Amino acid sequence: MTLTAESFDFVATLVRRRSAIQLGVGKEYLVESRLSPLARSAGVADVDAYVHALRRDVTLHDQVVEALTTNETSWFRDLTPFTALRSTVLPELAAAGRTQVRVWSAACSSGQEAYSIAMTVADEFPQLTASITATDLSEQMLVQGRAGRYSQLEVNRGLPAIMLVKHFQRQGATFEISPALRRGVTFRSHNLLDAPPPGGPFDVIFLRNVLIYFDVATKREVLSRVRSVLAPGGTLFLGAAETTIGIDDSWQRIPSAGASVYRTHEKRAA
Amino acid sequence: MSAATESAPIFEAEALMGIATDLFETMVDGEPGHLTLWWGEPPELEDSRFTWVDIQGQPATRVLLAASRETGEQLTRALLALPEGSAVGDEDFADAVGEVANVVGGNIKSMVPDGGALTLPSVAHAAPDAPGAIAIIDTYLSWRGAPLHVSLWALP
Amino acid sequence: MKALVIDDSRVMRRIVTGILRGVGFDTVEAGDGKEALERLTEHPDVALCCIDWNMPVMTGFEFVVEARKRQEWRDITLMMVTTEGEQGQIVRALAAGAHEYVIKPFTPEIIVDKLELLGLVGARA
Repeated sequence: MTLTAESFDFVATLVRRRSAIQLGVGKEYLVESRLSPLARSAGVADVDAYVHALRRDVTLHDQVVEALTTNETSWFRDLTPFTALRSTVLPELAAAGRTQVRVWSAACSSGQEAYSIAMTVADEFPQLTASITATDLSEQMLVQGRAGRYSQLEVNRGLPAIMLVKHFQRQGATFEISPALRRGVTFRSHNLLDAPPPGGPFDVIFLRNVLIYFDVATKREVLSRVRSVLAPGGTLFLGAAETTIGIDDSWQRIPSAGASVYRTHEKRAA
Repeated sequence: MSAATESAPIFEAEALMGIATDLFETMVDGEPGHLTLWWGEPPELEDSRFTWVDIQGQPATRVLLAASRETGEQLTRALLALPEGSAVGDEDFADAVGEVANVVGGNIKSMVPDGGALTLPSVAHAAPDAPGAIAIIDTYLSWRGAPLHVSLWALP
Repeated sequence: MKALVIDDSRVMRRIVTGILRGVGFDTVEAGDGKEALERLTEHPDVALCCIDWNMPVMTGFEFVVEARKRQEWRDITLMMVTTEGEQGQIVRALAAGAHEYVIKPFTPEIIVDKLELLGLVGARA
């Protein structure tokens, strides 16, 4: 590692200021690996030298923020929401005698989040059937999600090996998710600023790492639309760095190890 | 090896390019964009080195890579994150280019039906003698402008 | 925490070692399965093994089988890091006692995500 603690702090502060994304301790490898190509193309010796250049040249900042915040799609991203799903949310629904759970995976990208939820339900709550609506703006992402086909690099990211062999079938260079899981997920084109998609009311909504890109008024608007399709007692998952606090006080944070979990306050007089 | 091409294409050049691209983007360059197909006349390789692995099976298949010593040294520096222009020893060289052949060969093995065991990589100054071998894929790639010869052979 | 990186390629050992050190592991290395068994005896505090499959002398698969026979190594996490990508091979390795499986090529994020799944580094946040 050529990256000093001081350089790491500088980059972490820059990224936090510009994107609200936190690069905590332990993310040194990420900074090192994402900035190495930039350092090389700038012709400097290493990442540390590149960070020195950054301090003097603000025109380099955009590419650094971009390199460190590019949309990452991995299976079971952040882990903690899935732990909460498995240990609290789904057991409650099952205990209430439910046989179906309706889920909205908003800004679903290429579908890894939606299928991670589908696998969790299929593997651990056979009494429940998941009906998942996955939405994104990008038609290209939706096409991949619907096909359920992922490259070897994609299935390497965060997907437990046991699930890879259980739920996927290799087709040459790609891995295809099982038809049973594909049937449980409906992919739709949707803009979060428009009326919510059909398929609700939803027991669980995943809306992660999206609000960070909006201003406060837009965040409020999106949260209000989300609230309108959340079933009574339903659960909202936000990204780890996101909160409803100071934006929309109809939500309360539910204590949950590491995950950003919200429910609406108990209904007062309607 | 003879360069006859009369064999069922058990493997497509496009899939081979995909494997090489993944490998270079993730472990060699750390970013996309530096590996492409070679356009135009097949280039002359200078001071060539060869590395190969065999996929045992029916038929046995050989993955053979060739590049100039200079390009192989660049590849070694990239994999080991060594500074530009630093000296590359023979052991590191053989280890690095051999590992490239190993990863490409292993990925191909995963995609062909009945892929058997994978041999450990060999590195040499000349291509291995294999009379009767049939070329399945024979193509040049360009890595940062330098030619890499990649070929796949059905062994007799 | 200490990790044992088992691969006959020094290049690959250096890459894996670099990633592991970046997330706080101390590392030791072995060039084949037999050497790895010796390293484990010398370093009883190893918590994680990253294991290539195809190696001279003793393969990574044979190493997993041997390591799993030893009661005192029961708590060690075994992760294959190999170019063998057939689902049949993954099933074999898991059945023999490997906990996770990474197919080469990989990025640092791929290795770190797997370590998070295994509870060996802090969850992504």
